[in-house]
Amino acid sequence: MIVLAFGTIFISKDKEPKQIDPQQLLAELVQPTRYVTTDQIAKLIIAKDPSLLLMDVRDEDAYNEYSLPGAINFPIDSLMSKDYLGYLGIPGTKVVFYSNDDIKADKIWILAKRMGFNSIYVMKGGLNGWMETIINPAEPDETEPNSAFETYSFRKGAQLFFTGSENESDETSKIEVQVRRKEKASGAAGGC
Amino acid sequence: MHIHELNPWRTLIALSVFVIVIIVGFLTMSKPLLTYHLNMVESIKEVDDTDLYFYPWELESVINKETNSIILFDIRDNFIYGQGHIPGAENMSANELSKEDNIKRLEELKENGFTVVLYGEDELQANGPLMLFRQAGFDNIKILPGGYNYYLEHKTDLKSTENDDSFIKGIPRYDFAEMAAPKDSGTKAVADKKPVQVQRRQKASVAAGGC
Repeated sequence: MIVLAFGTIFISKDKEPKQIDPQQLLAELVQPTRYVTTDQIAKLIIAKDPSLLLMDVRDEDAYNEYSLPGAINFPIDSLMSKDYLGYLGIPGTKVVFYSNDDIKADKIWILAKRMGFNSIYVMKGGLNGWMETIINPAEPDETEPNSAFETYSFRKGAQLFFTGSENESDETSKIEVQVRRKEKASGAAGGC
Repeated sequence: MHIHELNPWRTLIALSVFVIVIIVGFLTMSKPLLTYHLNMVESIKEVDDTDLYFYPWELESVINKETNSIILFDIRDNFIYGQGHIPGAENMSANELSKEDNIKRLEELKENGFTVVLYGEDELQANGPLMLFRQAGFDNIKILPGGYNYYLEHKTDLKSTENDDSFIKGIPRYDFAEMAAPKDSGTKAVADKKPVQVQRRQKASVAAGGC
């Protein structure tokens, strides 16, 4: 009996540090619930949501050059570092990974999930998608549904927010006015 | 007097039977279908491994049945698979990957030296299953970057994809810092003068009409 009791101690030591069952991991990773859109992230940043924790999984140089507001650099080696892992699994926070696009962030999501962390997400499209949707949104076609225009007007507003303009209310409309003024002034001159 | 004291052997027999039952219990414990074969460090190393890619231009030999060591698995839903898939691909939809039959099938293919290529709608869809199976020891599994969508666009000329990198993920497509740079202060100064300019413009146009 005593021998067996000692045996159980060794069994539990053999295992790796905390990780979830592969079967459970497989069940979770075929669900698309981990993906969040760039629009959702933009809304959370604008609303200064304190529960949002953005993790930039690109390397340090890329991070220093550009990152989303408030993002923390979380290069892939961080998964092995206790200091960095402290960012994950804080109750009440939503951790969102992003990379240049979504593959690398998704891979880190899977590894973090394997380690048993919850409330972690992946920003679909990554920074490439961020540039295409928020920083430089494409105008929808006239045939597109109303919701496309609503999204577009939100993105236009978000664009002003993120490109750092101080008079964010209607800078673009003012710029358009300026262009018109020039044209008309020259037209009047010609008439006289 | 206790019965055990009459025959000391009985105690020993009872004890050894007990131990044997427990050992048999441990040995016959149902083995889980999947176990991790790669630890975290090995799994992290694999993240940047481009050997896991089975490129679209390599598909040609599979479609033309020039090679039979490669099996394509379409992990999209059965219904979508029915609407069109890469010729020769089998369907194993993502939601059914954890079924015993499917895992047995993958094990069989691994033992027989087949390479298994997973593809979904795009690379992202197949990325999760790829990683999981790699970590579970299926080192014969690869992924089709670009997925079905990319294949569909280029299926008439798969050779040409060799010179295309639009399907390769992980590359920054823009100069992020420049694109998202704050508007320079010059624009702002002009913006401040605007209201005055608007008024002037209106007057000018009225005058023009008068002439």
